[in-house]
Amino acid sequence: MRTGNKFFGLTTFIVGSLLAMAASGSDLPADFAANPAAVNMTQQPKVVVNSGLLEWQPFSRDLTLWPSLSYDDKRPTPKPRLVKLEEPLNGDPARGRELAMARDKGYCIVCHELPGEVWAGTVGALLLKFKQHNYPNELVFQQIFDSRAFNPISVMPPYGTFGILNEQEIRDLVAYLQSLE
Amino acid sequence: MNSKLGWLLALLLIAPITNVMAQAEAPYREFDPMEDYLPHVKGDLRLSGSYKHWKDPKNLDWRMAGNPDENWKLNWKFMDPPFNASVHGGHFALDRGETIFKELNVKGRFAACLGARKGNLKGLRAAYPMYRPELKQVAGLEEMIERCAAKAGRVLQNGSYDNSAVSLYIANQSVGMPIKINVTSAGPLQAAYERGRKLFHTRAGRFNLACSSCHTYQIGLHLRGTVVTSPYGDVAHYPVYRTRYQLQSLHLRFAECNLDTRTQPLLPGSRPYTDIEVFLTGLTNGYPVSVPSERD
Ligand code: HEC
Ligand code: HEC
Repeated sequence: MRTGNKFFGLTTFIVGSLLAMAASGSDLPADFAANPAAVNMTQQPKVVVNSGLLEWQPFSRDLTLWPSLSYDDKRPTPKPRLVKLEEPLNGDPARGRELAMARDKGYCIVCHELPGEVWAGTVGALLLKFKQHNYPNELVFQQIFDSRAFNPISVMPPYGTFGILNEQEIRDLVAYLQSLE
Repeated sequence: MNSKLGWLLALLLIAPITNVMAQAEAPYREFDPMEDYLPHVKGDLRLSGSYKHWKDPKNLDWRMAGNPDENWKLNWKFMDPPFNASVHGGHFALDRGETIFKELNVKGRFAACLGARKGNLKGLRAAYPMYRPELKQVAGLEEMIERCAAKAGRVLQNGSYDNSAVSLYIANQSVGMPIKINVTSAGPLQAAYERGRKLFHTRAGRFNLACSSCHTYQIGLHLRGTVVTSPYGDVAHYPVYRTRYQLQSLHLRFAECNLDTRTQPLLPGSRPYTDIEVFLTGLTNGYPVSVPSERD
């Protein structure tokens, strides 16, 4: 399975490619709801009663970094990446659980059932008692880093490739899942 | 996960082919599998089968509305008239829209600019979006309201309360009339429908999701507290009164779904949003205009 250069070493991490993707304020597509002068450029609409003007407010995070539906957005979507996990895992299960619940981190519960969560999503597989599967850490790591490696049409976000989680955070999540008995 | 090793091999084999296919000017994008939609509300019978539960009042089972697992099958139609007879913010917007419309239409020019024949607004909403020869492009009703109001010296920005209020007033003149746009004969509207369909399946944003990832492939599944509904029949109740967000135009709903899925939102009236509007309006063909409506 390891065919040399098909794998990206985790040391050459993706932060570089993501930054290259970021549009600078001046070349943002004209139809972006964004304010190039703001720190978080993304704006959200606010409807004001009895007004002919639509107000815009800063959104909590900058979404101009990722490809959009604008026809003028010429930045390519980051392609699926295969990664090689160096053992030992050195993950912290407690930290992993936090990441799985955190809205702007893993937020795995939006799609998956995890222990202790009542309003879990039902889109992804059950992750309760995950340890019973005996999956190698490497596979679980790849599933979270970029699930498109296994399923090109996966709806699970490519957490690593898209820079949502860093390597250590994914290690923590793997450790958490592997601890679920 | 062992079968995934097979996927992995398939991927390695497919990768070089997709590289060749990606053209120089078109950036690399990923798509959900294309669904063969029917440009009529009946198409839902094939996609989710929920249409039979919401197509007419006689068959609307109120008990389903109170059950989180059944609610989605009603496609929220229990919040549309005639099922929902309560007085809500949409009714106030309707009054406001009427006032503004009458102020703008003293000489009948505003209605004519919007495409009303002999000043008659009946049926106008059911025929939008439409190709506007003077613009040489397809436009939604709210875009035309903004443009025509500007000609009369009034600012009614697309997505603003007043713009949506006028849109709601115009829609109210077509209540009960089925949405009817022709997206099957060759022409600009059909081209917009096809672009919209493609956009609906285009992955974007921080989570690499397409509209169809939820609205076509996850119908009836839970995303935490909410359940995804069918994309058929939605357009008929816009602009809608949102108990949390005031009056919301369809393009602002797109922006909301974009923001929720951490994708950069676009401006109301932008070409991509207009194309998606044409696509979703095609999927609503045959369903009656249902305003003023409400959503939580
Ligand atoms: C948008 C929905 C979504 C989110 C969010 C999501 N997943 Fe998934 N996940 C899926 C789906 C769907 C699958 C099924 C396989 C596939 O399509 O890749 C899956 C599969 C998995 C699997 C493989 C399970 C098995 O037994 O084969 C693991 C492990 C997993 N997800 C972990 C996570 C973790 C950890 C997170 C949070 C960091 C997460 N997922 C977030 C949708 C999601
Ligand atoms: C992560 C899943 C998800 C994605 C992706 C998504 N939506 Fe939604 N959308 C929802 C949910 C949940 C609702 C609220 C429940 C419902 O009516 O389906 C909703 C509601 C809507 C509605 C209102 C339905 C009504 O009854 O008024 C429209 C229109 C809509 N979405 C369009 C879109 C478009 C267009 C896109 C792509 C730009 C999109 N959505 C992407 C989950 C999603």
